[in-house]
Amino acid sequence: MEANNLEKKVLDTNKFDLFKYHSLFSQNVQISYKGPFDGKVLSVLGTYIKFTIGKNPKASKKIFNIFIELAQNIAHYSAEKNSFGVEEGVGSLVIAEYPEYYAFSTGNIVKNEDVIVIIEKIELINSLDREQLREYKRVQRNLPQREKGNANIGLIQVALTSANPLDIEVTLIDDKYSFFAITVKVDK
Amino acid sequence: MENLIVEGSHGVYFVPYVNFNAETGECELAGESYLEDTVLFYNPLLQWLENYINKKREAIKFNIKLTYFNTSSSRCLLDILNMLKDYEDEGGEVAVNWYYDEEDIDMQEEIEDYEIDTGLHIHLIPSTDLVKHDDSEQDEED
Repeated sequence: MEANNLEKKVLDTNKFDLFKYHSLFSQNVQISYKGPFDGKVLSVLGTYIKFTIGKNPKASKKIFNIFIELAQNIAHYSAEKNSFGVEEGVGSLVIAEYPEYYAFSTGNIVKNEDVIVIIEKIELINSLDREQLREYKRVQRNLPQREKGNANIGLIQVALTSANPLDIEVTLIDDKYSFFAITVKVDK
Repeated sequence: MENLIVEGSHGVYFVPYVNFNAETGECELAGESYLEDTVLFYNPLLQWLENYINKKREAIKFNIKLTYFNTSSSRCLLDILNMLKDYEDEGGEVAVNWYYDEEDIDMQEEIEDYEIDTGLHIHLIPSTDLVKHDDSEQDEED
């Protein structure tokens, strides 16, 4: 009897507060996901985005393009991994719908030493007009690849596709890590 | 010299359809390109073109009908177009036709950027069949 009660107690303290989690989301949130960004998960989410927001083909194509680039960044660069045996990074994703636009957000944990580089890159991207941005992309795409298969133009492409400034928010977690969130708007 | 054919597929990743014909010099790249290992996929395509250019030295008609490619693939497409431009500069006969959905403004800009980047003349061909091609792929999957 005593052991049984103890087990219940342990279960209770570990239990995830799903109601609290669910209540965080406004009516505007259409999709939310937290977990590993591996190929299979991306495939399901990507297909869902492609065909569900399909009532607005132009926006869904843009959101799909943005999704792939930001999701691949998380898969490759998130400082957080999970214990299910996948090597890909862990992150969060939210798609919200408003009357005038869709807001696509992703977030992941990054090392503090990498944060400044990302912020500077995004500030540069936001300071450029469309023609300058296209030129910046061409210059970057012509540089030798630092890593195999990485064109290093994902964020530039995201800015071009969204045609809106990139909105970023960085939250310091401790002396090693920060949480990096980026929100991209796609007009309807 | 052998033809290079890859059946496109829509699974976890999107493999484009490839048909490079060594007899006619007509090469087609269609569908969508988002791959697990982009460089591994595109290296044989570049290798085939290099062989054709060095051994056959005949005309190349390169038809692109991609409706989507990620930035990693876009880097490999640049490598292909640069190779074609080098061949043209050496006296090779090269024609690049890029079929695109005329409502896809982002794709038009992308093609313009490739023209500026490579100095290659790209024939832009507006097309309505491309979207249908995507739909049929989806139907097959269902």
